[in-house]
Amino acid sequence: MQWWCAATGLPWDWRWQWYPGVHLVLVLLAVGWWSLGRAHGWTTRPWGWFVTAWVALLATLDWPIGKLGAGYLASVHTLQFMLLTLLIAPALLRSIPADGWSVLAPEGSRRFRALRTMARAIPGLLCYNIIVITTHLPAVVDPAMRTQLGSFLVDGAWLVGGLILWWPLVAPAPFERLGTFPKMGYLFGATIIPTIPAMMMVFSEWPLYALYELAPRVDVRFSANEDVMLAGLLMKVVGDIPLWIAMAVVFFRGTARDAQAHG
Amino acid sequence: MTRWLPLVLLVGLMACGEQTDRPLSPSGFVGAEVLTPRPLPDITLTDHLGAPFHLADATRGKVTLLFFGYMHCPDICPVHLANIAAVLDKLPDEEQRQIAVIFVTVDPARDTMPDLYRWVTGFHPSFIALTGSDSLIQAAQVASGLLVAQRDTVAANAGAAYLVGHAASVIAHTRDGIGRVQYPFGTRQRDWAHDLPRLIAFEETP
Repeated sequence: MQWWCAATGLPWDWRWQWYPGVHLVLVLLAVGWWSLGRAHGWTTRPWGWFVTAWVALLATLDWPIGKLGAGYLASVHTLQFMLLTLLIAPALLRSIPADGWSVLAPEGSRRFRALRTMARAIPGLLCYNIIVITTHLPAVVDPAMRTQLGSFLVDGAWLVGGLILWWPLVAPAPFERLGTFPKMGYLFGATIIPTIPAMMMVFSEWPLYALYELAPRVDVRFSANEDVMLAGLLMKVVGDIPLWIAMAVVFFRGTARDAQAHG
Repeated sequence: MTRWLPLVLLVGLMACGEQTDRPLSPSGFVGAEVLTPRPLPDITLTDHLGAPFHLADATRGKVTLLFFGYMHCPDICPVHLANIAAVLDKLPDEEQRQIAVIFVTVDPARDTMPDLYRWVTGFHPSFIALTGSDSLIQAAQVASGLLVAQRDTVAANAGAAYLVGHAASVIAHTRDGIGRVQYPFGTRQRDWAHDLPRLIAFEETP
């Protein structure tokens, strides 16, 4: 039995498999969120955001998506990347209310300074892009996904990358560093670097990853070449959509706030 | 420095994606050169029309990729065939015509010819599916220097879906009909793309 989804090289089958590590992480996350709220006396509990993050995390890491992404289909692996960085991470950040952040990182504390620093554009973009590029290098993906620890670290890196990416956008008042237009520029900046691995996947003459090229086919009608091309398209075309939507939201919220302030 | 970062990363990714990372054989192949080159088996099998197909005669003058496998193979066979097909599709027509890909079933009882032919040509229309008696197929494997495939008789006798253990290598015969290079499971498309034109151009130095 595996504790975390990793490539096995075995033929794909649709039998359910239990991955205890995934469920342990989910239990710890739920207990941690609940305990944090109680200990810090949150005035509100953003249930909607937390449940969204928790359910999406379960779907992303557990069977079948976790198993398919870890060892069979590059496109599903990319779907996991998108869910972790573009849905789960911002939902998790949103699942802590503004007063929760203030208790978690009181002004003047080291945590406060760290969160303030990470709310700037350059550290956010730099860390996120380094994580994206590193975790998409064939020299990293091919060996990492063959071990449970490697696969766990890749999933963890994507979640951390997502938290870093979204923090400057959702950071509440005492931490917030970016205004409306810098936030929009930041979001646009976040769409640029992931274009590199995405285009490599789409335009590479041969499949980029040995792991997915040589994996037992889930369906012989869906080739490794089509799979990796779909992965690249997902990453660029679909992956950019949440960022463009976020840009629109930031713009309309910012202009509404300005109108309120001036009116 | 940071403004060059995307370019550096792009070049790095390209390098990772396109180069073959295996050492080349003395003749410049990614595949492993066989220690004892053998000719195509002097054996006649049966093609999808039920017509006799003599392995050596029917492929004379072509690079022949000979692979023994079975249609219900869950991993090795479909990956090998799909990878070869993907590379063939990208070769010029003239080079494609000089390559014969032959898939011989090692499970003739289950791989009935209409299904086998449909399955094999589903990967590439030029692929050739062959069958024959157990003894002929075994002889062809031995003549090719491969271990003879073994059926999981426990599962087969119980009437359950069974696996067949078989050689995972594709044997590449140059145009003179001699099997010189073998490609184990794990051979990538870029490896085939590197080797196929070299196999076509190969001429033994006297």
